[in-house]
Amino acid sequence: MRKQERRAWICLLLVVALLSGIGLFTYRFIKSGGEWATFYGNSQIYTDGVINRGTITDRYGEELLQCTPDGFNYSSDYETRVATVHAVGDPYGNVSDGAISSFKSQLIGYDILNGTYDTTANGKKIALTIDANANRTAYEALAGRTGAVGVYNWKTGEIVCMVSTPTFDPAYDPEASADGDSSYFFNNFIDGLLTPGSTFKLVTSAAVIDNMDDREAFRFECDGTNQVNEREDSSLSDVIVHGEVNFREALAKSCNGAFGALTREVGAKTMAKYAEKAGLTEPVEIDGIKTAAGSFDFPDDNEVKLSWAGIGQADDLVNPCAMMVYMGAIANGGEPVQPTLIRSATFLKELTGGKSLGRYLDSDTAAELKDMMKYNVTENYGEWNFEGMDMYAKSGTAEAGSDSPDAWFVGFTDDADAPYAFVVWVKGGGFGSEVAAPIAARVIRSLGTAEE
Amino acid sequence: MDNYRKRRLIEIDTFITEILSFSENYPELAVHITTVFRWIFVVLAAYILLISIVSLLSTRATPEIWGYFMVEDGGNYPITHWENVIGRSRSTDIRIPLRTISNNQALLIRRSEDKWMIKDLGSMNGTKVNGFRLDPEKRYIINPGDRIEMGGTVSTITPPSLEETRNNRFMRRLDKEPVAPWKILLAITAFQVMTMVQLVLSMGTDITASALISIVVLMIVMWAYVMIFNTMGRRGFEMEMIAFFLSTINLAVTASSDPSAVAKELVAILMGLALMIFMCVYMRDISRLRKIKPVLIGLSVVALIINLVFGTAKYGATNWIKIGESGSIQPSELVKLAFILIGAGTLEELYDKRNTIVYAAFSLFCLGCLALMSDFGTALIFFATYLVVSFLRSGDFSRFVLTGVAAGAMGLIVLKFKPYIASRFDAWGHVWEPQFMDDLGYQQTRTMSFGAGGGLLGLGAGNGSLKYVGASNTDLVFGFVMEEWGFIIAVLAVLCIATLSVFAVMHIVAGRSTIYTILACSAATMFLVQTMLNVFGAIDLFPLTGVTFPFVSTGGTSLMTSWAMLAYFKAADMRRDASLAVRKED
Repeated sequence: MRKQERRAWICLLLVVALLSGIGLFTYRFIKSGGEWATFYGNSQIYTDGVINRGTITDRYGEELLQCTPDGFNYSSDYETRVATVHAVGDPYGNVSDGAISSFKSQLIGYDILNGTYDTTANGKKIALTIDANANRTAYEALAGRTGAVGVYNWKTGEIVCMVSTPTFDPAYDPEASADGDSSYFFNNFIDGLLTPGSTFKLVTSAAVIDNMDDREAFRFECDGTNQVNEREDSSLSDVIVHGEVNFREALAKSCNGAFGALTREVGAKTMAKYAEKAGLTEPVEIDGIKTAAGSFDFPDDNEVKLSWAGIGQADDLVNPCAMMVYMGAIANGGEPVQPTLIRSATFLKELTGGKSLGRYLDSDTAAELKDMMKYNVTENYGEWNFEGMDMYAKSGTAEAGSDSPDAWFVGFTDDADAPYAFVVWVKGGGFGSEVAAPIAARVIRSLGTAEE
Repeated sequence: MDNYRKRRLIEIDTFITEILSFSENYPELAVHITTVFRWIFVVLAAYILLISIVSLLSTRATPEIWGYFMVEDGGNYPITHWENVIGRSRSTDIRIPLRTISNNQALLIRRSEDKWMIKDLGSMNGTKVNGFRLDPEKRYIINPGDRIEMGGTVSTITPPSLEETRNNRFMRRLDKEPVAPWKILLAITAFQVMTMVQLVLSMGTDITASALISIVVLMIVMWAYVMIFNTMGRRGFEMEMIAFFLSTINLAVTASSDPSAVAKELVAILMGLALMIFMCVYMRDISRLRKIKPVLIGLSVVALIINLVFGTAKYGATNWIKIGESGSIQPSELVKLAFILIGAGTLEELYDKRNTIVYAAFSLFCLGCLALMSDFGTALIFFATYLVVSFLRSGDFSRFVLTGVAAGAMGLIVLKFKPYIASRFDAWGHVWEPQFMDDLGYQQTRTMSFGAGGGLLGLGAGNGSLKYVGASNTDLVFGFVMEEWGFIIAVLAVLCIATLSVFAVMHIVAGRSTIYTILACSAATMFLVQTMLNVFGAIDLFPLTGVTFPFVSTGGTSLMTSWAMLAYFKAADMRRDASLAVRKED
């Protein structure tokens, strides 16, 4: 009988197989349970394929959307709906990064212990970090033009304003209100890839600060035309004759000729490295939502194209959110905080700050850039436009193919109770400092004013 | 009087409706009760199952000693089985390391008290008893004290002395006792009562009186069973506790998905329990087992042929026979019981080539029939069991025949099912991909989605939604249990099946005959493979084959067979006075 006894161990192999399978499934259950449970086939939480529970509010509790078994209840205010739809999302998933789809499991209230069990069947309430009032203000300020406004607290990482236009009213049939044009669903702030224009000079400047010890001695004679290797390149010309400028003045006056020369001095390799260091070539992650990743081409065998790339033209493409985070980096001594859209544990966050994304710039470099951005404001944009704010900024006017250039305004404020980094982009808006700067000022001023 | 009666009936009816509408009238309170119950269910289940599992796995029987084999100038070997191989090989039970002895020299079989039989296994130098040379392949009765000559040595069998017997019994008394069933019984009862309350809360007036009464009957039968056999001196009830618990889940799952079918499930449990008791008692005597085999082969062949001729299709497989208006049985489920018994054999039978051929032929017949019925899942279960059993059975010749038959059968199955398998395999491992998730992977994605929705604690019996998906209470029952009872209870149910198998393997060292060893191991194989196919199929680790989860899946024949199969595990339970399938010790 001993033979049979020994051979019986083969049954244990089957036991091991059974337990291994259960082990593998347990791992998958822990890892993907939330995804499975929130699958649209789960009729506990979907009615006719549409999520049936959960509420989304802004940071002050203003209700933006309530999901019920009878359908969606959006805010009763039209402007609130159109100004927040890209943050909130729409029932049919047209807005790909909306809170409805991105934070589904939080909305449903899935957790591994209870699954989708919910005593009220009303789901959970998610407070977004956005300020609905600021969103409305930004929407108004964009005044029907295509654009994007993003503002975040560079200490806590909370995105307080996120608006993208053109937009649509989700309370009505989105297909109809968008006229079949899918650009309405597109969130320029998250998914956009745009020509940065002169705002990119803040990246070139960082490269100059780190790599040109004699930058104090830099002088450039701007005659409105531009010389590359003694040959005139009219395409790089400035409209205005700046005269003799140093590094600091070159940024304040946004002198293309001077920055072309600086770019050539720094070299293609270093420029590529700094675009990467500034976080512009990687997607930014916002609570699991990934932004588009920018891309650049700094050729080392074409000085004209290299010069263009150094001033934010040529093939340069940035994502507005990534640009905003770079502003956060300069504001926060070189270490930006990761942006977030879900408001949680605010007390601790305000005390300790948000999650760091690591070091983008040396603190000295950040300090010098900050100083130069202040100089931009005092010399060029005018402090009086930003009354009551400690403003640091850079404008941009990007040639992106359309008749009128795109207007940019990027920067941050450094007030103890208002540490905001921002990005404003208006397609075909014209001059950045004239068009985009007032929008930034107006939105920042509106922040928190709806607070009781 | 008539009027009074009528009024009473109306009163009772109103009262019942009132109870059933509790959750309608007090929805918030009902939800709060469920919220608390979910925790208690998990705690009770963990208590019931872990206590039973630990008891099964921590108690081990000391082998009984039936006699001594004394080799002249060689030593004194205790005989711990009813069937023993004497020889030179390391794998023999009584090993005489002499070159003149064959690897497998002879079989020594205990018939009854002080009655032994010996059979020469075709040894090189032969075996002599009292000077008489044994004919190989023939059995001879011998008595203690007879001279057994093998390869030049002389041995005798001596009965254990009274003192030794007493010592052995004393040792066996020192073995850890199986856990007492009372606390577990109370816990299961609490679980059952709470299940009824929960079903009323969740389903309201949709639940039927017969469904609730069925649970009460199960509870009463459970107590009666334990009390009766406890009075008769039996001590081990863990396996039955596990089976009663899983059966309770079965009734709850059935109540949630199809309340009118619960009574049928109860009948299946009762029939299965009766069959199990009968089988346990019947199997105590090996000679009865040997005699019943040809009968079972005949019955199985007839059942499968009837199935082939009169069978009706359900979910692609023609494995059902309709009885009357609404009844139907699955003959292949019952054939499982026979298949296990026919594959098992005493040590003597294992050395008999004819026996092996009969088993191989019968297996081939079963697999062929299942192939014709397109019952791929059951065919796989039979085939896996066949492979394990043929491995357990010994001999080079047998292995040769068995492997050949196995390969041939496998080829047949694959050929037969080719188009059907191919489509199942397409979605396998890819059910979450868009082209499959609402099509070939529909059942699996729903199983995982609703299952995950249950979290660790479940939504509460009756609250699930997987029940609206086809075959949810049979093929997808793992997901059903996950959704309504939670991941913990679902996994515990799987652990129960694993435990029964580990228990069977652990206890064969004290086994009396290989027939019990093989019975337990093939029953374990069947349960394991069945559970794997059911669970892994539903969660996309295997292609979905559509077999039942033992005890838990809705389905009368399968449930009854699961209970009857328990007899094979009980027969391997050699703990002192534990099992109903083993005669009581003095």
